[in-house]
Amino acid sequence: MKKNGPVFRLKNGNYKIELADDHRQLITQLVEQLRDSLATTTDDANLRRLFPTAYNNDAKKDAEYQRLMRDELLESRLAAIDVTIKVIAQNDEISAEEIDAFARSINSLRLVLGTTLDIAESDYGSQNDTQQSENSDGDETSGADEYLIQKELYEYLGWLLEWTVGAQSSGL
Amino acid sequence: MNEFTFASSQPGQVQEIDQQDETKSDRPWIVIVWNDPINLMSYVTFVFQKLFGYSLEKATELMLDVHHKGRAVVSSGSRERAEFDVYRLHEHGLWATLEHESL
Repeated sequence: MKKNGPVFRLKNGNYKIELADDHRQLITQLVEQLRDSLATTTDDANLRRLFPTAYNNDAKKDAEYQRLMRDELLESRLAAIDVTIKVIAQNDEISAEEIDAFARSINSLRLVLGTTLDIAESDYGSQNDTQQSENSDGDETSGADEYLIQKELYEYLGWLLEWTVGAQSSGL
Repeated sequence: MNEFTFASSQPGQVQEIDQQDETKSDRPWIVIVWNDPINLMSYVTFVFQKLFGYSLEKATELMLDVHHKGRAVVSSGSRERAEFDVYRLHEHGLWATLEHESL
């Protein structure tokens, strides 16, 4: 067992996620929000990275693909979220299948948050964050504060996913 | 690309359509993963290893192609197989498409 972070692989091949209670509540809250959003619509612009095109240059083929596969993809995402909520609530060792569902759900959250934040390849955070922060002067309820909160969440989920992938990779 | 989009009653043209289709269908479908600024490099590498059984070295090479060149071909085969691979990549949050391999 290599236990240096919040997610690690056990000798028996299972995994363990160790998070503080408030972090477990946060993850649960976020995936529940995502589940509610997905249950309402999959056409929201912020959800578009969860349902990518399959045929770049053939709209007809892509429409047919989406007709056949979109619901299945939605079901897969919802099932992964259900597993994530369960394993966070149980706070016990989990199987390879369960940590896979957890990783996919955390990644889904990052994709949605990253889209909302308009994360770009050239965005290394500090400059954009500073600019957003400056814009918040004198405006208590400005969108800049919300941006910084979401950016912090995005970074936190990236950190958690790095540990999760590290644990999974040790089992390959 | 020279594609016919309508059928003709002229035997010669029908033959030409068939040849076009046959030539195209002989070519394998390729699955392309595109760069995106959100997915972690470690996560993309792991997904390639997990879904395709690639070694760490091969998966890392493909991930770096995606990151630096903007895209990488990660698998190829029949259209059904390529659609299945695209679905699995989408399931893991990667931006993947399929297309006929270029001549």
